[in-house]
Order: sequence, then C-alpha cells, then structure tokens
Amino acid sequence: MDMLVFAGASVAKIAVVMVTVLITVAILTLAERKVLSWMQDRMGPMEVGPYGILQPIADGIKLFFKEDIIPAGANWVLFSLAPIISLIPAFIGFAVVPYGPNIEYELYGVTIKPFIISDINIGILYVLAFASIGAYGVILGGWASNNKYSLLGGLRAAAQVISYELNVGLAIIGVLILAGSLSLVTIAEKQAGGFWHWNLIGGLQIIGFVVYVISSVAETNRLPFDLPEADSELVAGWMTEYSGMRFAFFFMAEYANMILVSCIASVLFLGGYHAPYPGTLLPGILGYFEGVAWFTVKVYFFLFLFFWIRATLPRLRYDQLMRFGWKVMLPLALANIVITAIVVYVLR
Amino acid sequence: MSVADLVKTFTFYEILVGMKATITVFIQRIILRNRKAITLQYPHEKRDLPGSYRGMIALLKYDDGVEKCVGCDLCEAACPSRVITVISAEVEGEPAKRYAKEYYMDMTRCLFCGLCVDACPVDALAMTKEYEWARYNKRDLRLDKPQLLALGDRNFPVREKKLEFQHPNVAYFNIGHKNLPHKAS
Repeated sequence: MDMLVFAGASVAKIAVVMVTVLITVAILTLAERKVLSWMQDRMGPMEVGPYGILQPIADGIKLFFKEDIIPAGANWVLFSLAPIISLIPAFIGFAVVPYGPNIEYELYGVTIKPFIISDINIGILYVLAFASIGAYGVILGGWASNNKYSLLGGLRAAAQVISYELNVGLAIIGVLILAGSLSLVTIAEKQAGGFWHWNLIGGLQIIGFVVYVISSVAETNRLPFDLPEADSELVAGWMTEYSGMRFAFFFMAEYANMILVSCIASVLFLGGYHAPYPGTLLPGILGYFEGVAWFTVKVYFFLFLFFWIRATLPRLRYDQLMRFGWKVMLPLALANIVITAIVVYVLR
Repeated sequence: MSVADLVKTFTFYEILVGMKATITVFIQRIILRNRKAITLQYPHEKRDLPGSYRGMIALLKYDDGVEKCVGCDLCEAACPSRVITVISAEVEGEPAKRYAKEYYMDMTRCLFCGLCVDACPVDALAMTKEYEWARYNKRDLRLDKPQLLALGDRNFPVREKKLEFQHPNVAYFNIGHKNLPHKAS
C-alpha cells in the first residue's frame, strides 16, 4: 500500500513535469521565432491564429503527418534508435530538479515531497551523465543516415560535446565546493535568504556562471555553437535525412535540453526556487507556489538568453570553437576552481 | 596579443557590445514600441512598385480597339532569350499593312530585360506591374496573342489614340516612340 501511494504520487509528479516540459517546448518553438524576429526587425509567424500564436500546433500537426523516410543504405535500426536515444536523456534529467521548496506531506502514512520528483545525492552527476548519453543520439543519427553531411555533423557533435562537457563539469565544481553536496535539492536549499546568498553573487561564482552558460549553449548545439547542424555548410548536419516524427524527436530533444540546462543553471547559480528577497511574500501554501513562480522566471530568463545569443552571434568556425573551448573556457573554469577552493579553505 | 586584447577576450567585450545592440532593438520594438518591422506580410500587404518596374509583358491596342502590333519581328530579333515568336501576315485586302497573325511569348525563358519594349517601333509592347504568375504547369506560361492582349487591357485601361495624320493604309514607324501609357498601380 505504501509503495502504491508512493508510486502513484511519483507518477503524478512525473506526468505534471512531462506535460509542463512538452508545453514549454511548444511555447519555445514559437517564442524563439518571435524573439528572433523582434530582434531582427521582422514579424515572425503571423498567419496561424492571432499574431501566430497557434503556430506550434500547426507545426506539430505537420510533423506528425509527414512522410517517414528512411534513406536507402541507412542503418535503419540505428536510424530509428537515434532520435529516441536523443530524446529520453533530455527528459530524464528533469527527475532530479527541485521545482519548489523541499517540503514534506504525509499522505496515507507516506512522506511525499510535492515539488521534487526524486532527491538523489548525486543529482548533478546524474544530469551530466545523461546529457552525455544524449550526444550519442546525435552521433549515431549522423552515422546511420549514410550521408556525408550527416556524418560530418555527427563527428562535429562528438568533438564539440567532449570539449564543452568538460567545461560544464569544471564550471560547476565551484558551486559544489560551496554547497558541499552533489544533490540539486541541497544546493538549492543552501542558497536561501535573498539574492546575496545565491551562488552567483554570494558565492562569487561569476566566472563559473559565465563558463557554464556558454558551455551549455555549446552542449545543446545551439547557435553560435551549432556546428553539428550548420545549415549553411551541412544542409542540416546530423538531421539532414530525418523527417516527420523522427525529426520532431530531435527537435523536442534540443528544446528539452535547453530547458534542462536552464533549470540546472538557475538551481546552481541563481538560487533555484528562492526569491531574491528573504523568505516569501505570500503566506502558507501560496508561498510554495511563489517559489515555483520564481523558479519559472529564472528558467525563462535563461531561455531568453539562449534566443538573445542566437540573435546576436554568428556561427563560430570549427577551429575557433575548439580554441575557445580549450584556451578560453577551460583556463577560466580551472581558475575558478582554484580560487574558490582557496577562498573556501581560508574562510572556513 | 596585447594585454587589452586579452582582457577583451576574457571579458567577452565584443560579444557584450553585440548583445547590447540586439536587446536595444528588442526593447524599442516590444517595450518602447517606437520601432516597426521593415518586412511586409506579403500576400496581405504588397510593396508599392516603382513606375519603371518590369513585370509581365503585354501587347497594347489603340483606343479604337485595333492592335498596335504591325508584325515587324523586331522584338523577336531583340530578344536575348528567344522568348518571342511572331508570325506576321498581310491584313486582308490591304497589301501595304501587316499584322501579327500569331504572337507567342514563352515566359519561362523571359528575363524581363525590356529590350523588346525598347525595340518596338510602334510602342505595341509594354511592361506591366504584374508579377504573381506562379503556375503549376509550365505550358501555362507560353502566352499567345489573346492572353498578351488581355494583359494589356487589364493593366492599361487608358489606350493611346491613333495619331490623326497616320494614313489608314500605311504602317508607320517611330512616331509614338517612348510614348507608353502610364501603368496601373
């Protein structure tokens, strides 16, 4: 019975998070086009619905009904598997993100945390591990397509993910030193009490923050680091041969990854669900939802930052990408670790 | 690399300058609302075309409904893409007068240079402002004389008068040169 209640509550939480993420993906596809067009003196989608707000529905229907093509000579097992390998790790990372305060409720004698699906003590490691698996979807999809552009895109993805995952891992070590834990819930809890307690400001993790944001842009294959996809050189990179729902899976994976790294960034550096002032303004249960609202605002800030960077910067050349990753990002991340470690050691 | 360059590299100075430019446009567009999109919603809004716009080519008539074309073949000779085919014939009962019995324009090849319009000695050809001529069948773009005359009727409602000193039986050249009617906008 206890197990049943726990499983039921977990499934309910997972369902809510999945639906929210999928809706956010739909919103993001439109928001990206709109924000980009506003920044570039255009209008963006205007045809479907008032001001084009129903565009994601039209896109979804189109992708769903499109012909499903497997190119001749493609390895159809890997070709079909790659979008799934790409999509599942993108969604699985949301299991450890704290969406609201770490409160506990008794339901039929079972302790349930309504805003946290699971609090595992290696939370951030788990997210990074699954993010690396997601890269296999890109590489396998590029190889299995039997197309030179896809293969080049896949190879570029491999090199890029290795270079920048390293930086992501090193950039967050400063936060981990400050929090003394790998659990995202603990990291968020330690930043309670106003914005001067956040890791970005109170922990002086500015370098780590900048390195994390830039490297996560590269890790999600977004502009200006979209070399695996590089429209102007590689048609669509590793997605060249994909169409219909398989393409939609890659597309959803890209946006879900964006949301995931935004969630992680706001938890690690901007205090997660904590408001920029101590405590909450609203009393009782409403206060918990105030926390969720602040978390949403922070996540959307990072998502806007993704669009903003995309609207501003052109794609890097391949050697620039590598030089930037290894000669700028890596030294910055290492310096951040050394400085944080020394300061923490001296002050404690 | 100088020290200033290094500082700029590690503080992402140039990137921040660029990001300031884009967010400025965004704020002007969304918050201040003093900036508008430079694009048009094409099928609903259309650009004002300049008077010299070179769109579809039309054959013209005089105000009494007689075709201007005298079947001289000069447009066919001027055309660099071999778009035009003219089959000229004598007017029945008037041996001195000729007209284009058949007139074809294969618009799939036309590059809208306007040399045929320049070449025409009687201003029988004119360029319209029509450009929405996407067709599912490319054979629909091989226009014959009635279609070209219809184009002219549609776009040039005010027809040119036949000059009075023109003898009805004599073809004349260069009298109305560059005296084309105004395009309907």
